[in-house]
Amino acid sequence: MSATENAKAVLRRLTAASATERILISFAALIMAVLVGAVIILVSGRITTCQTAATTLFGTGFCYDPVEVYLVLFNGALGEPFLVNSPGILKPLNPDWNPLNFGFALTLKETTLLIFTGLSVAVSFRAGLFNIGTQGQLVLGGLATALFSFFVAPLLPSGLVGGLILIPLAVVVGALVGGLYGAIPGALKAYADANEVITTIMLNFIAAQIAFVLVSEFFGNPDSQVVETTPLPDWATLLPVAFPQGGDFSILALAFGLALVVAVWFLLEQTSFGYDLRTSGEQPEAAEYGGVDAKRTTVTSMFLSGALGGMGGAIWVLMVMGKWQAGVPALGFDGITVSILAGNNPFGVVPAALLFGTLKSGSLAVQFGTGVPKQLVGVLRGLIILFVAMPEFFRMLGSTIDLEPDRETVATDGGSLGGDDE
Amino acid sequence: MSTTTIDRLRDTELSYRATLAGGALSVFLFIALLGLAFPSSIWGNFLAILTSRSTLSSALRLSVPITFAALGGIFSEKAGVVNIGLEGLLIISAFTAVITTAVVGPEMTVLGLPAIWIGFFAGILSSVLFSALFAVVCIRFKADQIIAGLAVWLIALGLAPFAATVYYGGVNTDNLGTTLGTWTIPVLSDIPFFGAFFDADPAVYMMLVAVPASWYVLNRTAFGRHVRASGENPKALDTVGVDVSRVRYAGVLLSGFLAGVGGSALSLGLGQFVGNNQTMVNGKGFIAIVAYLFGNYNPVGAFGASFLFAGLEAAQIRLQQVPGYAIPDSLIQTIPYVTVLVVLALVGRTRIPEAAGEHYDTGDDNR
Amino acid sequence: MSTAVHLDEITKRFPGVVANDDVDLTVERGTVHALLGENGAGKTTLMNILYGLYEPTEGTVHVDGEPRDFDSPADAIDAGIGMIHQHFMLVDPMTVAENIVLGNEPRKWFGTTVDRERARQEVIDLSNRYGFDVTPDDAIEDVSVGVQQRVEILKALYRGADILILDEPTAVLTPQEVEELFRVFEELTAQGKTIIFISHKLGEAMHAADDITVLRNGKNVGTVKADETSNEELAELMVGREVLLEPKAEPQEPGDEVLSVQNLSAKDNRGIPAVSDVSFDIREGEVFGIAGVDGNGQSQLVEAITGLRTPTGGAISYKGRDVTNASRRSRIADGMAYIPEDRHERGLVMDFDLVQNGILGSQHSATFAADGRINWADARDHAERIIDEYDVRPPHADADAESFSGGNQQKFIVGREFEREPDLVVATHPTRGVDIGAMEFIHERLLDLRAEGKAVLLVSSKLDEVQGLSDRLGVMHDGELMDIVDPRNTTEEEIGLLMAGERPDTAETDAEPPVGDAK
Repeated sequence: MSATENAKAVLRRLTAASATERILISFAALIMAVLVGAVIILVSGRITTCQTAATTLFGTGFCYDPVEVYLVLFNGALGEPFLVNSPGILKPLNPDWNPLNFGFALTLKETTLLIFTGLSVAVSFRAGLFNIGTQGQLVLGGLATALFSFFVAPLLPSGLVGGLILIPLAVVVGALVGGLYGAIPGALKAYADANEVITTIMLNFIAAQIAFVLVSEFFGNPDSQVVETTPLPDWATLLPVAFPQGGDFSILALAFGLALVVAVWFLLEQTSFGYDLRTSGEQPEAAEYGGVDAKRTTVTSMFLSGALGGMGGAIWVLMVMGKWQAGVPALGFDGITVSILAGNNPFGVVPAALLFGTLKSGSLAVQFGTGVPKQLVGVLRGLIILFVAMPEFFRMLGSTIDLEPDRETVATDGGSLGGDDE
Repeated sequence: MSTTTIDRLRDTELSYRATLAGGALSVFLFIALLGLAFPSSIWGNFLAILTSRSTLSSALRLSVPITFAALGGIFSEKAGVVNIGLEGLLIISAFTAVITTAVVGPEMTVLGLPAIWIGFFAGILSSVLFSALFAVVCIRFKADQIIAGLAVWLIALGLAPFAATVYYGGVNTDNLGTTLGTWTIPVLSDIPFFGAFFDADPAVYMMLVAVPASWYVLNRTAFGRHVRASGENPKALDTVGVDVSRVRYAGVLLSGFLAGVGGSALSLGLGQFVGNNQTMVNGKGFIAIVAYLFGNYNPVGAFGASFLFAGLEAAQIRLQQVPGYAIPDSLIQTIPYVTVLVVLALVGRTRIPEAAGEHYDTGDDNR
Repeated sequence: MSTAVHLDEITKRFPGVVANDDVDLTVERGTVHALLGENGAGKTTLMNILYGLYEPTEGTVHVDGEPRDFDSPADAIDAGIGMIHQHFMLVDPMTVAENIVLGNEPRKWFGTTVDRERARQEVIDLSNRYGFDVTPDDAIEDVSVGVQQRVEILKALYRGADILILDEPTAVLTPQEVEELFRVFEELTAQGKTIIFISHKLGEAMHAADDITVLRNGKNVGTVKADETSNEELAELMVGREVLLEPKAEPQEPGDEVLSVQNLSAKDNRGIPAVSDVSFDIREGEVFGIAGVDGNGQSQLVEAITGLRTPTGGAISYKGRDVTNASRRSRIADGMAYIPEDRHERGLVMDFDLVQNGILGSQHSATFAADGRINWADARDHAERIIDEYDVRPPHADADAESFSGGNQQKFIVGREFEREPDLVVATHPTRGVDIGAMEFIHERLLDLRAEGKAVLLVSSKLDEVQGLSDRLGVMHDGELMDIVDPRNTTEEEIGLLMAGERPDTAETDAEPPVGDAK
């Protein structure tokens, strides 16, 4: 068995759980991650110094109160619908709360971006390819979008008409560049049998450096000390509708993301190409047997995955920044968590992205309100992946709680289950 | 099949590596030739960099974390557990080593042991604990090794900057103001060029011991044979009465120990932990994986590959200091990564242990 | 004579299956005892219990008259039991000696280091004592299957085994290697060892065993002495009713050529030549059989024909067109059906339900996906039709392939491939792991296809199957097609010699050096 087959066997086992079980496992993993996160918060509350203890347990004072941290987190992500600072367990509703608020816009912004990266990872994982390179695909896709828009914008009429022409084109350019960058590890995998986990990780490093050089040496904003491109005119970006300006959230981008979710689902489940892709992911030998061109499917799937990552970068540039700037947030890595949490199901990506968007946007409120560093989300990201990766843990947990004896199913013939003992 | 065909197959595999090694050598000779012919040109600068003692000594220092992580990866994967979380182990040990030293107080000694060495061992301990977690998750709870490894990496990547921020208010730690220093062996260190081997960071000496020791353990001890059998055909091991899980736990813990040495040496060699972006580890754990694949799971080969990658890095750093030519630093920094990519594309077909990545069940379900 | 092993009312239940049902078994010291039965009769499970791999649900194991409770193989080894599994438990890259001493390595230097010299010497001594011919320094991956089996036996003897269990020891051997193995049995029993071997081949049990115990559906249906019974009696015990032992195809005039293979060569996954210079053709209404011990290039030959492996030389033409480098997909579209040898790896996607598996290979066909979009309603009808016609049980199209028994998985694959309305059926081990009823059904369907004028390429390691069904029979050895014979006028012995790589007419003139001295 080669390394690649091992990776596929792993993915096969991940998807072996039934749909209900997968949802249960995702929830359980989330709860476990939150619990472990609480312990980490408590412990770090002992390390740091503070004037007054936020909480006291077993006669020891802690600077951070995990319950408060999580409350502030969710409250902040929704734009403070509750008055968390008031005493008592039940917090009163905030009379001034408006659903179209800044905090909620921030959550939806993160959610939108994570839908793209989550879909990107999901497509590759379904094809049996561990694309860890969504990050690099996003970085270069975003840069391509920013540069394309910057150079083409002067040729177009400004205003709504220009935007209607330019924005879709810019997204397509981002998708193309991201897709091509994704196709590189795909081709290396297909034709040189190079492990895609390592190549994509290496390509992430390379993408970051190349983008940095391109912008700092050639396409930088001459008026800026920061490594970034010249800001695009407002009409060439996705401006917020209904939500406040600073939230950087455009409902159009979310709608586009949701449409992509349906499109990816359709592609995977309803088309011949999707059948080929899923079969290669589940069982490459069977796919070959069924007439699937394994090499081409590998490259195509990686292109598709990269294109979705590239679109994520395009949306980041057009909706959030209005330019490309060095130090791109780790949206690609978060996409791995989102996809794994979603069981690599396109529809599952939406709630998973929403949840993770909530964590990310709430973490800012947490840092602000309780002093717990926002890097907490990075820890939770890893913990969630860890727990989702071990369904056996929850099965064992479940079987110690559930004391019912194993039900015996009826044997259908004398043969041993699923195999022969010749 | 005949023995000769298998020999031929091995020969092609060998020739792959020979070509690469030869390629590296001929590039060097090419530079040397041009450098000698035109000493004042850029080639002269290249040659000076490649043959300078300080490049050798920084290459040795830079190869420490990669080599130790690669040795760890060998033990784990040979035992049948693919440890893609080496990067995470390096990060967590690098961070723990510094923060422990800082908490103890860099100038303090405890029981005659300088704080920096307490930090060194604390870093190792943290990596061992992390690998124990990874081992339990993979072996006891049958998690998917690749994903669990990614989780180890991502947890460490989040946890170290998080804890640094809690303690220092920023993702980087303060500089300890002290490092592991250098151990200089008199006389031998005066040898030109090769004297760099005898005037080095203590971790370099550890590495030079750990490489042959690892080879010996894998190839000459019963434990090493069990490790190899556990990764190739665990059932063969189980049926002769050796506990496969125990061997695999040992392999993974050993990988944690070795990676921990590498991580501690990395940060304490500098006296600081840098936590922004990908942290100061910056992909060394992943390069280590490529190093042992390239070295065909042989500790000596893995060291050779690590040294090659580290040498590139060292040359790259020195190259940035050469004035008068316009290649941007960031581009030069991609050289090691691109090399890894090319190497991986060329030696993609490595013979990995037959059962690596697979769970092992004894097959009985009623006990 | 004393009793070496006594199993007392052993029952073993797995979730959903009773593998052994109240089985008694008594084996005398110094004898060869055959455990005979169909696939799935519970033979291997019973022996795994004796070897401590499984714990019996009920019943007791007695060894040398003592009741024993084995928690693991280590306990069984301590009690003097050794088991040679069907799939050898050897570490391929390690040497013969390393494998034999694995887990019991002799040590030196305060136990830190393996004493390789002593290990070597012990292996040589042991090997000489039982007259085995093995070289301690050869890597396992370099030696033949027969030698690997002897290494397994030595491994057990090294651990002090007095009772040896062998699971289907002859399945991977040539007839000549089988004879060699049975000579080893005699040598071992002469030195007081006890042998239990599992088999589903009547002739073998009759030939090599002193006593034969027959298992059927997990029950012991009788223990007989080999020299007091007959093939017919054993066959009836095994299957519970009289069966047609050898299917016979009526001669029939074949039509036009469908497949032609010319000087075909191919390499295996490791790049080692596996098929060299094979030529044959198959015509309409003809079954062309390929016999041979597993692993002599049949798999690679079939993969080259079906488009899963690129040949390194030669040509394949199908229905008059050259398809040497045609894609797998185009061959499927052109009416080439293929029952693969490995249903778990290739034939079915284990985590897909039968609806999805039913269109594997047809996912781009006009029938199910006219415009790139799959018509799942049609796919469901198709799967249900196969389930119905090929008696797949339980009849649940929505269940994952994984949840079906091996026999039912095979019936589904056979159904899917036969329903393609093929012009050529490539069937590799089509009846492997299925029960007698399904086997007869598949044989009949293959002969029906032949009667309809289809071409059939049948590869099987069951000699009676290929011999009984084929019109012409090719025998493969070491990648070469040794000869094409008329199966109706050739004896099993003649085919056996070909399988062992000896051409009767060229045996004398062959350039091979003489093999060793007489023992």
